[in-house]
Formats: sequence, structure tokens, C-alpha cells
Amino acid sequence: MRRFVIPSLLFAALSSAVAHAHAFLDHANPLVGSTVASAPREVSLTFTQNLEAAFSSVQVTDANGARVDQGKAQVNGNTMRIGLKSLSPGTYRVRWHALSVDTHKTEGSFTFTVGGR
Amino acid sequence: MLRSSSCSRAFALAIILVALSAAEALAHCFVGPRFFPATLATDDPCVADEMSLPTVAWSKTGDVPAAAEWDISAELSKRITEDLGISIGDTWSNIHQPGGFTHAGFSNLETTLQYQLLKDGPHELALLLGLIVDWGGTGAVDSGLATPWSTLTPTFYFGKGFGDLPDSFGWVRAFAVTGQIGYQIPTRSFDIDSGSFIPQVLVYGASLQYSMPYLKSEIHDYQLPDFINHLIPLVEMQLSTPVANNFGNSGLTTGTINPGVIWVGTYFQVGAEAVLPVNHASGTGVGFLGQLHLYLDDMFPTTIGRPLLGGSSAPPQQLKF
Repeated sequence: MRRFVIPSLLFAALSSAVAHAHAFLDHANPLVGSTVASAPREVSLTFTQNLEAAFSSVQVTDANGARVDQGKAQVNGNTMRIGLKSLSPGTYRVRWHALSVDTHKTEGSFTFTVGGR
Repeated sequence: MLRSSSCSRAFALAIILVALSAAEALAHCFVGPRFFPATLATDDPCVADEMSLPTVAWSKTGDVPAAAEWDISAELSKRITEDLGISIGDTWSNIHQPGGFTHAGFSNLETTLQYQLLKDGPHELALLLGLIVDWGGTGAVDSGLATPWSTLTPTFYFGKGFGDLPDSFGWVRAFAVTGQIGYQIPTRSFDIDSGSFIPQVLVYGASLQYSMPYLKSEIHDYQLPDFINHLIPLVEMQLSTPVANNFGNSGLTTGTINPGVIWVGTYFQVGAEAVLPVNHASGTGVGFLGQLHLYLDDMFPTTIGRPLLGGSSAPPQQLKF
């Protein structure tokens, strides 16, 4: 009987913890570190947790540090999107901050490249 | 782990306890985009609300014939404030020598007070100070698994990710190192029972780790299987060297090198390592170390997963961009 107690407690603890955690970047479009043939119209980030829209954001800059996004990210559930200006071939950096619904903060950045440079 | 003749048992136990003291204490550690996992044999450089339950180790001692040793430990870490934390842990051990003795019981209770000196997100750098106290007489002293004296170990911890290297370094940026160095001071200088001096010991260790989650989210998403993207392969090293009050004892450095891997989930992580003694005095053959580690701050963000004083994090500020 006793040997089931600890696993049961652990299971109960894990089960009760659903939907509260740090928001990790699950995947992005364009893919992290990828090279795309044509300029994307937006960057889409999908996280492992739902986000607080008011405290989550993303910006996209070119190689000179100039903003190339359209300024305001849209957050829907665990996805954050931001529109892009017309991009010329080159490498761009995406910087994001996320606040999950239980107030855990995460951040990150990555690059993608337009064209074959 | 050491286990030697009766005349040097006290010294051997001191070394064992040094090793065990470095084999616990864990934390949930975000520094900028870098996540430092809770390493198994050494500590990571953050205070946090977490629990290791259990950590299981198996190894063979350097005796002839070698004794088999099982260690099962648990530890609870709790933030008092955002930067100040405390942990408490203990280990139950069973040591059996074929045809010989069997010892079983708890080691001394261990507490650690830690203060977060620095978390530099852009440079993925974390610094931590700690004081490890091994409370003498709280374990199985009669079985030789604990000492009647206490030890104090001021310890410095660090963690550094290489994500701030230029982008041209590519996949290399997913590497990180962590480490710790402490100076263990016993509350007694001489053990009357064994007639030996109780040394002061330098306790140190490090890990080299490669973060597949970091590779995927910060450098290049190779669209590998999800299981692979949760792995952090690593090599840990933990060593101890008597440096003072060691008259008549061996001054040999003992410890282990542990290659292994940690799978990082949302609410917990699971780690497994091989344990390779650095010399015969540290053990024989290949041992094993495994751990289930729970992120209490993620599991219970509004209750036991937040600091006792103050909020779970600084009040959110509206981001400007």
C-alpha cells in the first residue's frame, strides 16, 4: 500500500498543475535559423503555454537594428503574430518577451534569412 | 565513494559526506533566454522553488572486495524572497560488502542558504552564494553513515551560457557551463573515536551542457523529434580535496565524472548519469545516478511555488515594443 502513496501524490501534483508554467517557444514561422526564398508577411510564434497579451510582445529588426515589423503584435492563446514590412534579402532578428497566464516571464531571440544570402 | 579500513573510516565518511553534499541542492533557473537545468551531481546557480524526489545513486566502493552502495535522497528548495532561498535535504544509504558488513541509515540533515548575486540575461550569466550546513548527529552516526560533528561549507556557484557569442558561432552557442567551489569546515578538528584529524576540504565541481531546447528556439530549428528537442546532454564533475588539518590522512583528491542526459519537461525533468570514479579511492566500476526533479514554481505558481515574502516575480511592466 505504502509504495503507491508517493507515486499517487506525484501524479496528483502533476495533474493539478495543468496550464501553469513558463511559456517556451514551441515553434516559429519562419522557422528559427531558417532561410526562406521569399519575404514573409508576418512572423508567427507558438508557445507551450497561453500568453498574457498585455505583457507579451515581439519585434523584428534588420541587420542594422532598424525595425521592420508593423509595430503591434497580436496575441491569441499561445500564439503571437506580428506583421512585417516588405523585406529585402538579408538576415532579420526576432526578439520576443512572453508572460504566461500564471505570470512566468520568458524571453528569447532568433534570426531568419530572406533570400539565398 | 570511499570505504576503507576501520582506522580511516572517519576520514572516509567525511569524504563521502562531502561528495553527497555536492550531489543535491537543485533549482529552476532561467537567465535571459537560457534555462539551466537542475544538474544531478552539482548545483545550478539559482534559487528556486523545486523538489528532487527522489535522487537515486548506485556505485561500488574502492574496497577489496568492493561494497555496493545505494543512496536515495530527497531535497526541497524554497525561495524566501526573490533572491534568497533555503533548501533542506537528506540521504538514506545502504552499503553492503559481500560476505561482510551492511550499513544502512540516514546521513546528516543538510540545509543550504543561498543568495542570488546576479542574473545577467543578455550574457546568460548567473552568480550565487551559499552556505551549506551539514548538521552533525542528525543521521546514523552509529552505523558510520553520519558524523557527530557538523560541517559548514561556504560555496560560490556560477553559470554561463554561450548564447551571447556572435551568430557566426552557430550551434556552439547552445553550450553552457556551470560550476561551484566551496570550502568545507568541520566544527571539530579531531575525531577521538578514530584518532584521526578531520580535514578541511575544498569541494568543487562543474558541468558542461548542451541545450537542445536552446538550439531549437534560439539558433536553428532542425525540426527534430520532440523528445530530442527536450534533451540536455551534459558531463558533470565533482571533486573534493583535503587542504588543511589533514595530518596522517591521505591528501588524495576524490570524485567522479558523470556523463549523462536530462530530459526537460514543462513541470518536471528527469536525469540519468553514469558515475565514473576518478581514481580507485573514489570507487570502482561504473555507477549510476538518476533523478526526478519537480518545478514547484510551475506546478503551484500561486501557492507553494512563489517566494514566502513578496511576489513570484517583479510586477509585470508593459513592454514598450
